[in-house]
Amino acid sequence: MTKEEVLKMAFDSVVECDEDMANEALAQGDEAGIPPLKLLTEGFGAGIKHLGDLFGRGEVFLPELMFSTEIMKLAANAVEAKIGSSNVQSKAKMVIGTVEGDVHDIGKGIVAALVKSNGIEVFDLGREVSADAFIQKVKETGAGFVGSSALLTTTMTVQKEIEKKLEEAGLRDKVKTIIGGAPVTKRWADRIGADCYCEDASDTVDYVLAQLEA
Amino acid sequence: MNEKKYFTRMGDGSIIYMTANEIWADIRDGMADAVDRGKIPPLSEEDLQKIFDIVTMPGGVVGVNPNDAVVTTSDSGSDKIPTKCGIPISRDVTAMIHERVLGCDSVDIGNPDYNYKTAKGIAKREAGILKLALDKTTIPLYYGAMPNLGFYTKPDGPVDNWAELLPLGKIKEALAAQEEAVEHSVRDIMAVAKQTYAVGADAIELDTCGAAGDADFLAALKACEQVTKTYPQMPVIIGMAGEFVLGMHGKLEYDGQRLAGLYPHKQVKLVEKAGASIFGAVVNTNCSESFPWNISRVCTFIKATVDVANIPVHADVGMGVCGIPMCENVPADVVTRADKCLIEICRLDGL
Repeated sequence: MTKEEVLKMAFDSVVECDEDMANEALAQGDEAGIPPLKLLTEGFGAGIKHLGDLFGRGEVFLPELMFSTEIMKLAANAVEAKIGSSNVQSKAKMVIGTVEGDVHDIGKGIVAALVKSNGIEVFDLGREVSADAFIQKVKETGAGFVGSSALLTTTMTVQKEIEKKLEEAGLRDKVKTIIGGAPVTKRWADRIGADCYCEDASDTVDYVLAQLEA
Repeated sequence: MNEKKYFTRMGDGSIIYMTANEIWADIRDGMADAVDRGKIPPLSEEDLQKIFDIVTMPGGVVGVNPNDAVVTTSDSGSDKIPTKCGIPISRDVTAMIHERVLGCDSVDIGNPDYNYKTAKGIAKREAGILKLALDKTTIPLYYGAMPNLGFYTKPDGPVDNWAELLPLGKIKEALAAQEEAVEHSVRDIMAVAKQTYAVGADAIELDTCGAAGDADFLAALKACEQVTKTYPQMPVIIGMAGEFVLGMHGKLEYDGQRLAGLYPHKQVKLVEKAGASIFGAVVNTNCSESFPWNISRVCTFIKATVDVANIPVHADVGMGVCGIPMCENVPADVVTRADKCLIEICRLDGL
């Protein structure tokens, strides 16, 4: 098989959630001389990214996406074993939650799932999370990304509080803050000093991956 | 000489100025996005020209010819003046204001905690308030709330939280939790329907359906079916949460049709099948795109929906949906332009 065919097989194994095909792609990758990390990122990783885009279009659904995440994990484990590194799966850490006073956590759950499927370690604090709890978790985990969700105009202010408390804790320059939720906009992000407003889960993944590549 | 620029807005409400070429490019891109996602027909060149003309029309507020006027309703209308505007008046008075001051054709009486789980616990009191408002008004008044399946999850409800289970890979448990929540939701909606029917409600609205995913939409369809069967004289209005049904479960079906991923032109057929009388179509506003991009996309989706619908389609034209920017005080320039586009291009039945 050519290198392109193997990369395509890895891509398809994630999209079609096919464990046998994933194992075959890993074996063929060795024969074709594809560096394991390249196979992981440009084959399997590209597949999970494509699935995220399909989810955003309503063409793939969350349970299917989570099954494919397992294929991604399988591939990452195999690559880890080949290159002798234990740092392949977790590209970065992200603390995420729905802000205090807000119980709407469905969108946040989708973001957490999609980000996690892209190899980011996610610390999901759940719903009704205070600004202090976000800061505490960043301190504990050393996460580089903080994502907060608010569905109500009355709870968006907690996102501003998170910015302020990160500053007070001396952590603001160490993390990238991402905000989202139905009433949240880029204008709000600019106003409170958040690093990024994300329209949806795919947008969040794009931003996080772009930051890691920068 | 500088090219002429037209006043318009972004999807977050901020003001921008665009050239004719830029507006045309966004109108075409917005339509293409809808065609691609919904797999629906494009608008005609005549429709696109009309959108351009409406977007660039002089004046802050635009309107339609009197003969083209459509009915308007106000979802959660009884809540907006007291809760959102902070004016302390009762819900029956808000209904009267909608009828006699705002010229609204119908309005719902709903609890500020706008979901059927909450409403069920106070259903008799809610029905009492509806009765009071019905006695003082002549416009159709209906009870409205959301199925909002998310409220049935722990710690606020009885079932496990699928939004937490799914990222953990507990797929089977997440699916079971959603299926269980559907049953709770249908039961609660029926309990409220019983009380509102008893006081003579003109209709009952299941609003923002699908907010928690495909199970949420299934709950609305099942409840609609039961309400129309049990109380045939009380029509059901189904309004949506977003442009496509989120696949949080992914395998749920109604009438042999998988619910996840359905766009408005397919949603309306199931809503009809369930027995609803009015369909509230929704298309999301993208905050990062311009009004011309958004409204062209909206018209493409809504026209495709109206074309196949056998029941009236009343688009949800409010904050963050159907071309209206995501901002607290929605600007009249964009609202009236969105309304005019929807009425004149999509032949919408109501707003």
